[in-house]
Amino acid sequence: TPLGPTSSLPQSFLLKCLEQVRKVQADGTALQERLCAAHKLCHPEELVLLGHALGIPQAPLSSCSSQALQLMGCLRQLHSGLVLYQGLLQALAGISPELAPTLDMLQLDITDFAINIWQQMEDVGMAPAVPPTQGTMPTFTSAFQRRAGGTLVASNLQSFLEVAYRALRHFTKP
Amino acid sequence: ECGHISLPTSTVRLGDSITASCTISPNCSHLGPESQILWKLGTQLQLGERQQRLADGSQESTITLPPLNRPRDLLSCCLRWGNSVQILDQAELWAGHPPAAPHNLSCLMNLTTNSLICQWEPGPHNHLPTNFTLKSFKSRDNCQTQEDSILDCVPKDGDSHCSIPRKYLKLYRHMGIWVQAENALGTGKSPQLCLVPMDVVKLEPPTLWALAPSPEVAPPQPGCLLLRWELWKPSLYIEQKCELRHQPQLGEASWALVGPLLPETLQYELCGLLPSTAYALQMRCVRWPLPGQWSDWSPSLILTTAQQ
Repeated sequence: TPLGPTSSLPQSFLLKCLEQVRKVQADGTALQERLCAAHKLCHPEELVLLGHALGIPQAPLSSCSSQALQLMGCLRQLHSGLVLYQGLLQALAGISPELAPTLDMLQLDITDFAINIWQQMEDVGMAPAVPPTQGTMPTFTSAFQRRAGGTLVASNLQSFLEVAYRALRHFTKP
Repeated sequence: ECGHISLPTSTVRLGDSITASCTISPNCSHLGPESQILWKLGTQLQLGERQQRLADGSQESTITLPPLNRPRDLLSCCLRWGNSVQILDQAELWAGHPPAAPHNLSCLMNLTTNSLICQWEPGPHNHLPTNFTLKSFKSRDNCQTQEDSILDCVPKDGDSHCSIPRKYLKLYRHMGIWVQAENALGTGKSPQLCLVPMDVVKLEPPTLWALAPSPEVAPPQPGCLLLRWELWKPSLYIEQKCELRHQPQLGEASWALVGPLLPETLQYELCGLLPSTAYALQMRCVRWPLPGQWSDWSPSLILTTAQQ
């Protein structure tokens, strides 16, 4: 399999990662659209205070930012971030019957993506000795908190994926 | 229970024979000391080879049937009673073949149903009730080692296809898949496929549109057509290439192919055609550069070229 310009990783893996980012972005957009349509939660900026109170963690992607772009570091952070979002989405379970299928699809695609990266890192011997854990998750104590939390998580996820996508695009450039 | 038929098995291969015995219990109130046990295979009355009285007073008759040449038959144990023949017990006999190995197994990832749809050829009819099961497992490598198995996919009766739902799939990892056919006489297994679900994704065709002349869009040259197309929405996240084919609506004209074409084009001018002629246009797309399956051709768009 032809290697990507950053030598250690196959080009097909990087192309699949790009595809998976776009797929998760599409799922995330679907969740945002349904939260807006069903619950009028359309603007995450209206939920910043609540977000602080709920303590919704964000995933660092410093090794994926243009200033300090570093492939394996970026992949590790991308994988840890995906694991974090798996946890956050699990914490949103029971968000609402209409949103459940969309949330399930998003979880499946994020899990697929995390496994794909982890197994590729293992294959090239660059996987961390200890897999990342999800850490403490926020507790959503009401239906509204789950929906507001969903709006915030979806928005944070899109920003996270945007940074990841730009980095992956850079790594696939010949 | 007056009479009871005992069989080593109720299913044999076509052409094999079978030995049955029937025991008539002593408390069967109609039983005379020397009542004769008769057998009926289908509608044909037969005598057993041997009839004996057992220690408990019951009577037992044994019969070895002729080679069975019908897939299904009914064996009855009877008793002559006055002028009539009384049926005391009945057994269903099946005759057929072990299942052939299913073949031509193929799978497609369907993004509409979000499932992996596999189909196969069941092989020749074996005359026996046969269960087909689509079996699969996840694998880290090229299906040399089995990671964890996936829930069996059981098709509806008579179907030769089955769908594995998204939640059981790892879209970007290898999985081994095969079909198992099973009946009372044995099991047949298809060759195993090793695939990555997303690498067998089959997209829906794009939608072709005519581009009407407008202030921004100049009318097409003679022998040219103006058109645009849109990808199938659920596949927008997938990088693709497309191809176009066109055919003049004149007698037995053949299709001409144009491609590869970029998946998203707001305006495309197709030239080199006959002037004032109606053309059928179709388009299809495929995941690319990553592997995938070509979509079907889109429905035809009929456009007529400008006059000379």
